[in-house]
Amino acid sequence: MSTTDIPRRAGVPARRERRRSRAVSRGDGRAAALFLAPWFAGLILITAGPMVASLYLSFTDYDLLTPPEWIGPENYTRMFADPRFLNALQVTFTYVLVSVPIQLALSLALALVLDKGLRALPFYRSVYYLPSLLGGSVAVAILWRQVFGADGLLNQFLAVFGIEGQGWVSHPDYALGTLVVLNVWTFGSPMVIFLAGLRQIPQMYYEAASIDGAGRVRKFVTITIPLLSPIVFFNLVLQIIGSFQSFTQAYVVSGGTGGPADSTMFYTLYLYLKGFGSLDMGYASAMAWFLLLIIGGMTAVNFLASKYWVFYDD
Amino acid sequence: MRTTSTRARRAAAAAGVTVAALALAACAGGDSGLGPGTEESSAPPTEECPCEIRFSWWGSDSRHTATQAIIDAFEAENPDITVVPDFTDWGGYWDKLATSVAAADAPDVITQEERYISDYASRGVLADLSGLDIDTSTIDESILAAGQTADGQFGIPTGVNAYAVVVDPQIFSEAGVELPDDETWTWDDYVEIANEISAKAPEGVYGTQDYGFNEAGLNVIARQRGESLYTEDGELGVSAETVADFFQVSLDLQAGGGEPDAARTMEVQDAGPEGSLLGTNTGAMGIWWSNQLGALTKASGRELQLLRLPGESDGERTGMYLKPAMFYSVSATSEYPQASAKFVDYLLNSPEAAKIMLTDRGLPANTEIREGILGDLDAPNTLVADFMAEIAGDVVDSPPVPPNGSGDVAEITERLNTEVLFQRLTPDQAAEQFLTEVEAAIG
Amino acid sequence: MTELTTATRLPDDGTRLRARLAQAAGGLPEPSARQRRARRRAAVTGLFRHILLIAFGLIMLYPLLWMLASSLKPSELIFREPGLIPTEIDLSNYTDGWNALVNPFSTYLLNSALVVLGSVIGNLVACSMAAYAFARLEFRGRNLWFAIMLMSIMLPIHVVIVPQYVLFSELQWINTFLPLIVPKFLATDAFFIFLMVQFFRGIPKELDEAARLDGCGHVAIYLRIMLPLALPALATTAIFTFIWTWNDFFSQLIFLTRPDMYTVPVALAAFRDSTGETSWGSLFAMSIVSLIPVFLVFLFGQKYLVKGIATTGIK
Repeated sequence: MSTTDIPRRAGVPARRERRRSRAVSRGDGRAAALFLAPWFAGLILITAGPMVASLYLSFTDYDLLTPPEWIGPENYTRMFADPRFLNALQVTFTYVLVSVPIQLALSLALALVLDKGLRALPFYRSVYYLPSLLGGSVAVAILWRQVFGADGLLNQFLAVFGIEGQGWVSHPDYALGTLVVLNVWTFGSPMVIFLAGLRQIPQMYYEAASIDGAGRVRKFVTITIPLLSPIVFFNLVLQIIGSFQSFTQAYVVSGGTGGPADSTMFYTLYLYLKGFGSLDMGYASAMAWFLLLIIGGMTAVNFLASKYWVFYDD
Repeated sequence: MRTTSTRARRAAAAAGVTVAALALAACAGGDSGLGPGTEESSAPPTEECPCEIRFSWWGSDSRHTATQAIIDAFEAENPDITVVPDFTDWGGYWDKLATSVAAADAPDVITQEERYISDYASRGVLADLSGLDIDTSTIDESILAAGQTADGQFGIPTGVNAYAVVVDPQIFSEAGVELPDDETWTWDDYVEIANEISAKAPEGVYGTQDYGFNEAGLNVIARQRGESLYTEDGELGVSAETVADFFQVSLDLQAGGGEPDAARTMEVQDAGPEGSLLGTNTGAMGIWWSNQLGALTKASGRELQLLRLPGESDGERTGMYLKPAMFYSVSATSEYPQASAKFVDYLLNSPEAAKIMLTDRGLPANTEIREGILGDLDAPNTLVADFMAEIAGDVVDSPPVPPNGSGDVAEITERLNTEVLFQRLTPDQAAEQFLTEVEAAIG
Repeated sequence: MTELTTATRLPDDGTRLRARLAQAAGGLPEPSARQRRARRRAAVTGLFRHILLIAFGLIMLYPLLWMLASSLKPSELIFREPGLIPTEIDLSNYTDGWNALVNPFSTYLLNSALVVLGSVIGNLVACSMAAYAFARLEFRGRNLWFAIMLMSIMLPIHVVIVPQYVLFSELQWINTFLPLIVPKFLATDAFFIFLMVQFFRGIPKELDEAARLDGCGHVAIYLRIMLPLALPALATTAIFTFIWTWNDFFSQLIFLTRPDMYTVPVALAAFRDSTGETSWGSLFAMSIVSLIPVFLVFLFGQKYLVKGIATTGIK
């Protein structure tokens, strides 16, 4: 870390403003076209077509086996009279509201602990990441019964304290809870992103603050939090998008049924069962586009709110 | 890989989605569509082989290996036909099949199941096999009928299974309970015996495992009462009372301790044959399809036995039936229907194929073939074959082909049974809801 | 932001000089004793942290250990004796599982490796390019395009897979790896674009401005400044793409129709039959086998996660 670059940073803000305005007026249109060319090609050739097709299908009666028939907005109006759909909506919202904050908090805390300062950290990081490697393996369903079943590990543990547990994973009142735990258990991905984010914070800030006499708490609040905020924001946005589309874990643990008694019927799982199980792809497409509206709305709110708490260094 | 004639046919077949076609036109050259063709009327008169056909099925590794061996044997006999295997698990199979049909890219020989065959047949996906050269003369008429609708023969049963009670005699004798006489026992006897075993057996060993997740049990009870889950013309044929009684059995077992509590029942239900009560030596009885006896026996490490379902003697008539394990079907848009038919014929009628497959796709429906493999069966499957021969005389008829949408009925039954087990619905309420939901699904 | 500037307000030379002087004056008896005590305290808290981390690690690992134990048991004992310690060790699940499907398991491992390799390269190249544009370039409609990009990951795959299949089928790409790899080269994985945008924006802008004053164009800035400095983001992208592609079941199931093209997740599913018999022993054994490559990639790849600006340094 050479010290020569520090003075240059010191005087930045004013100069940056000036330069920014010049950049705007000049524009980087041609360079942007070059850098965005692959993405743009993908959008036109691969992403947009199927998306538009599914939007069209959401206005049709489509059983996959015969050509779709236009029925107008009927699929959309049908949704709100479908008690199982409304249940799926409620299950999904509950899941997102509970599991996203817990998972983010835990993964950030562990990223801080595992960042540096201890020996064997690479090993711990790998061990903690292992559960996330399992993905949607069918083994997870069996594993989860081993832990949360009537004779599972949790109940054996509770028995030590004289508490008689019950089958958690297969009880309509608790099954969703075990899925939240499962999701938290696979906190590896946001943790890794946090770790990478921590490592990108220039060390010179901490050094400078140390010399200034700042303590660890103060350094955390005044350096780590603001400089990590773009990454916190990224994890928040993507976790919300991802949790609304949660599918694999419920599919695997409930054996594809969303049971017991629809208690783990996530939105996307219901949509999948309607589309492929009941061969009602028109209805499934309508649900998907309604979901896009919900997620899109949440993401827009997130972006608007980010102006007040996310710090960018550009 | 794909020849021009396929492309031409698909172009003709593509009624298609205009928007999708527009969106994709740039790269597709216009012959795209989200709907498969149904117009293909007659098979092409001449078929040019060497040719390649695709055969799709679901299952686990033992079936994949056996089927590959059959394909190898077939190709050795028919060097001009190449059979491409396309296998996956049960869940993935239907997703993949529906997707490929939607894109007019269906496999040539398709494995079907009774819950879905009507959906695919009525929408013109499957070819009428009566017009193809497949020998079905040695297959029992009533079994063959399970693959027929008014419009033709859309599937040929690969083999048959029976829904039956599997028992673990060791648990019976350890509990000091006698095995029931399955020619005379009633559903009340079944509940009573299960409760008795739970009471006498050690802690954690139960009389039976809940049966209410499978609508096949409902169908048998309905038939014993002279009803049927579905009628010939694809309507619901069961009364609310029968459905309520079906759910009530589970509640009686729960109350009497004959089966585990609701949460544990759910858990065991999700664990398949290997994790079932019988499979883990913690239950004396369970109601299963006969082809699952092998897996249960292997998991339990014990000599399990098969009994008839209760209530066969005290009802209006017998309710048990032989269910086609699965069907062989041929795609209506297959480019090589004759080669496909030849392969299906081989699967059904070749002694070599039968020797490799044994009872993996149910006990062969072809009676001559069945005779030929009896000596090669392992102990559990010999038991199955003997059991089927024994009940064959009492089976009155086959239930009609389940109507369109019957794939949902499995899910409806499972969900409502859960609601009953957790006492969120009474059997009467569940029965009402069952009738409403099933009517909506098959309507 | 104001907090940040106060905290990082740079020490005037006087402060730094005083710090240096204090350091130079070290080696006296008193601070040395304090240092020793501090070191001992650090060792104790370090040990304490290790114990906590190990305990937590065991909770994380229990299910995996159970799977490993089960893969070593004779198949029929997996559910009858579900304990963690096998009563008898049986390696036949591994040998049986390896050869249980139509092709040896190595075929599926190799296929997965090819798909993963293509996907990783594709994502690294295409997503970083798009991210550079969104993070650093000023162009008309930037926010709109960004929103469209995010929108593309908000639709569940189940409703776009059928139209996608139609598209790839028209291109004659079914049963090749192309539908799995080519989209990655066209930056369809918006997750990673967004990820890299966030990281690129964390790189001090003065650096590329300085480079521009030195006469560098955008390509040079992207290649020489952004990519090296965003190494953690690139490593994250590579590792995640590897793991997620390795585990991705649905699209590989749909687009690959011949067993000799099957990948690991599709092959693993073929061990299971919910309507009949499942070879749990083989399934667990091959799951363990398929975990090894991803675990190794993570173990060695994470070295690059922690090589941020902190270690590469800004010169």
